[in-house]
Amino acid sequence: MDDHDRLELARDKARRAWWRKARASSEIRRTRQEMDQELRRPGERPDPSLAITRRIFLHKSLLAGATAGAATYGWFPLVNTLDLAFGAEAFKFAWVSDNHLYPKNVNTRFVEKATRAVKEVQAMSPPADFLIHGGDLAQLGDPVELDLGSDILKEVKIRKVFIPGEHDWYLDMGAKWQQLFGPPNWTFDHKGVRFVGVDTVSRGPDYWTAKKMTPKERMGHMATLDGSVAGAWAGVGRDQLEWLNRTLSNWPKANPIVIFTHNPLYEYYPPWNFWVRDWREVHEVLKPYSNVTNVHGHTHQVLYNEIGKMRSIGMLATSWTWPYPPEGVPVLTRCKVRVDPGDHFDGVGWSRLTMTAAGKIENQYVMWRKDKDIFADAPWDSGCADNINQILQPRIADREWPYYGAYK
Amino acid sequence: MKGTRYVLTGVFLGLLVMLASSGTDQALAHKEKHTPDQLKAFEDVFMEQVKIGDLLFHGDGATEKKLRVTLSKTGMACAMCHPFGSDNHPYEFPKFQEQINKFATLRDMINWCIEKPNEGVKIDPDGDAMKALETYIYWSNKGSKLDPGRH
Repeated sequence: MDDHDRLELARDKARRAWWRKARASSEIRRTRQEMDQELRRPGERPDPSLAITRRIFLHKSLLAGATAGAATYGWFPLVNTLDLAFGAEAFKFAWVSDNHLYPKNVNTRFVEKATRAVKEVQAMSPPADFLIHGGDLAQLGDPVELDLGSDILKEVKIRKVFIPGEHDWYLDMGAKWQQLFGPPNWTFDHKGVRFVGVDTVSRGPDYWTAKKMTPKERMGHMATLDGSVAGAWAGVGRDQLEWLNRTLSNWPKANPIVIFTHNPLYEYYPPWNFWVRDWREVHEVLKPYSNVTNVHGHTHQVLYNEIGKMRSIGMLATSWTWPYPPEGVPVLTRCKVRVDPGDHFDGVGWSRLTMTAAGKIENQYVMWRKDKDIFADAPWDSGCADNINQILQPRIADREWPYYGAYK
Repeated sequence: MKGTRYVLTGVFLGLLVMLASSGTDQALAHKEKHTPDQLKAFEDVFMEQVKIGDLLFHGDGATEKKLRVTLSKTGMACAMCHPFGSDNHPYEFPKFQEQINKFATLRDMINWCIEKPNEGVKIDPDGDAMKALETYIYWSNKGSKLDPGRH
């Protein structure tokens, strides 16, 4: 087989993959509807008091002097409420994720933004009860990157809990991450809420052994969002599903559960590996519970979805923002505004979540966007509606092997 | 003497015309029907550029080295913000580009992204790397509706 034949073969494969994806578009919608019908009886929603509202407020920077008195606009795009059946105590917790740190000498911007987030978390008043770090602290799983992230996070003195992202894991298969942050899944109860950290990244099928990849090559392909080499890597896994089932089995069915994952727990644009491949099984485990909120990272986008009785909220990255995919954005999501790539603080940030005394959860995106509304009023400013003319096809260069520098 | 000069000039021009007409077949080749082999060859040239552009777009160091370009000094690659070439909107150029504050082509925008978000080194707007990047971006958006000037 000569180079031309190989290229022809690769092109055919790309075309077939594209058509499969195009067909999958309607399949995704149908599957979601079927899952929803299966999991939710007529008239049921995650919670009757759930409201999607939009409130704009001005919040002063929590960092004294850090922004030279400049005000930052924050946004409550979604106020998610859930009723508690008992007297709940108000508390806050914070989410930071997707810092994608390189070594300090390679990229100072990401260090600057991760540092800003942890300083703002530490400055919260009243303080947060804990910080959840949602994964992708490092970009390429380098121990130098993970150590740097760990040092930055030391600024936060409150309780910290961690779940891994794929960027933290696939250089040494999680060795350094676990040494720094402990087991990748866990659970604890706090003021009437059961919190569960689920690992969605470590069970990727082996795509490296047969191709004799070095750990760096393995990590490189995992780190490529639109790559095809790593395949459908995100998953919860049978063993962890059983663990989740056991973990929840002694919890009252109507009491609140918050599940932290790196990836969203529903089918969301598989070509970019946003999804968790066994998301249907996750929903089967969660089916008996009526107050489940999933908070996830990975997608670097404002996202909201409901499937069955579970609501799902996507968090911002501190590093950079991703465009919405051409299809599969949940219909309940109000998309973020198009961001300015010239301003590396635009479209990124962290999240402040509050469990109110009235028993409601509020999610507040803290997006570092200066002097502007971060929610589009007109379609041409929306990160979703702007792409009406766009048709995309998957990349081609990684469908041949060897990959690196392989062109003539 | 003057007449001789005219004659010589005439002969020279005549020779030029003859030489030019002998190359007509090649110059007007597009007027002839294409063979499948030709079409395949044309597509091969195009797809080769797509592949090179794909590698550059995804931060392949070996390809950058071969083409002697530095597209990023932050570790960021184009595809990290533009998976599948999304949000490049190549079909909207040329247009007024707010970030550059001028009427811009796709090549202007590619160079802006290299210099600003990626902190790389601006590339030759007519060079091999630019042609490959442009080819990949157009190819990955193949089928999109042409809408020049749209912001």
